[in-house]
Amino acid sequence: MRKIIFLLLGALVCLPMTAETAKEKKANKDTQAYRYEIECAGNAQPGSYLVKVWSYSKKASVAENQCRKNAVHGVLFKGFGGGNGCIAQRAIVNTPGAEDVNKTYFDQFFSEGGEFMKYASIVAGTTETVKVGKEYKVGNVVNVRKDDLRKAMEHAGIIKSFNAGF
Amino acid sequence: MKKVLLLTAVMSMAIAVSAQIKKPELMVFPSENWCITNGYYTEVTNMDYQQKVPAYREALQENTQLKLAIAKINELFAAREFPLEDLEQTLKNIDQERAEDNLTMSKNGNELSETPLDAISRVAKADIILELTWSVNDMGLKHSLTYILEAKDAYTGKSVAAVSGTGDPSMNADVAVLLEEAIVSRMDNFQNSLMDYFGTMQEQGREIRFDIKVFADNEAGVDLETEFGEDELGDIIQRWMAQNTVSQRFSLKAASETHMDFTQVRIPLYDDYGIAMDASSFAKKLQKALKKEPFKIPSKVLMKGLGRAVLIIGEK
Repeated sequence: MRKIIFLLLGALVCLPMTAETAKEKKANKDTQAYRYEIECAGNAQPGSYLVKVWSYSKKASVAENQCRKNAVHGVLFKGFGGGNGCIAQRAIVNTPGAEDVNKTYFDQFFSEGGEFMKYASIVAGTTETVKVGKEYKVGNVVNVRKDDLRKAMEHAGIIKSFNAGF
Repeated sequence: MKKVLLLTAVMSMAIAVSAQIKKPELMVFPSENWCITNGYYTEVTNMDYQQKVPAYREALQENTQLKLAIAKINELFAAREFPLEDLEQTLKNIDQERAEDNLTMSKNGNELSETPLDAISRVAKADIILELTWSVNDMGLKHSLTYILEAKDAYTGKSVAAVSGTGDPSMNADVAVLLEEAIVSRMDNFQNSLMDYFGTMQEQGREIRFDIKVFADNEAGVDLETEFGEDELGDIIQRWMAQNTVSQRFSLKAASETHMDFTQVRIPLYDDYGIAMDASSFAKKLQKALKKEPFKIPSKVLMKGLGRAVLIIGEK
């Protein structure tokens, strides 16, 4: 009997953790499926882009955390349109299918606490939360260090450097 | 045996090093439009009409915004490990050649056989010219900046990359700040377009212009209509071009008994020995072919930078 109670208690403790992981996994899948919005948020310091990213999740905190990852993903694979005093920018990795071809690298890169965190920081006080149906749409302005990010991609052999081949 | 192995190793290394494509030289210029609009030009008479010629030296000496813009572009390219040629330094080098050029001009009786841009391109051997234009639009208290940066292949004259646009009107920002913003915000797109061009060049070969001319009354007594067997020399040269260009890519823009003008010629990046090719080495390849039997035609190759060469047949 004691064993059963102990097991039930253990399961109750673990349940929120599992649910949290499931939400994070869902958020990661959304990122991979480009289910986020990215737009320019103004002129940044040289070497950086200032972007506003809208992420989706049933839990607002997950969506907020995901914004940083989505910002880096967006700058790498999506690019963004002009407006807000800035002009449209192409994705850093613009070879079709590069994300799938280098899946192992990017799985590691975008893992929780992964390398992506080095290149993005959320601008304090910019969080906006909107309830859309059953989920939250959370927006954050993120500063992405695009020059360093591009160098990391060049170093990893994902993209060619500007003077490659010469 | 050891010596042979050592020699082979050294030769392999030499080929591996030389097998890299020659890095194109890039240089930023204020555009002709900007120079003339801002009063940096001199007027010369050329064939009975007045021609405005950009005064680059004057522009660099007097316009701080231009210096700032060029410095900023140089800085952004250097950050991508692709340093540019410096226009100001090149102008100084031109001084050295000017006297010689003037002498040549007076001998021929031509006052303007070479534009200042040609002179700079020749001395700097710039393969790609980055032409910079901007203008300030005043709208009452506010002003905005229209900016154009265009990359042109110095030898083919083709535009290979460009960015342009007008920034948002601003009441406070200084023109220098607006200019810097315009350069920085558009540089990634510009460099990406240039990279696309470099990529195409690496895939499809280097594009060159290639002219064939004939020395008048030459010792060999040939012109491009001279027959060898059933074919005229011009046709033989065209067949040679088809065999030696990448995917037979070339256009014969003009042809006569004394002149053939090949454009959009795509040459392989490396020769049979793995050495990087340019327009003159391609021309020399044809020179060697014409020297052999049954033609035995002497010729002279004039190099006009990496992307253009002239082969003059009939004499050496």
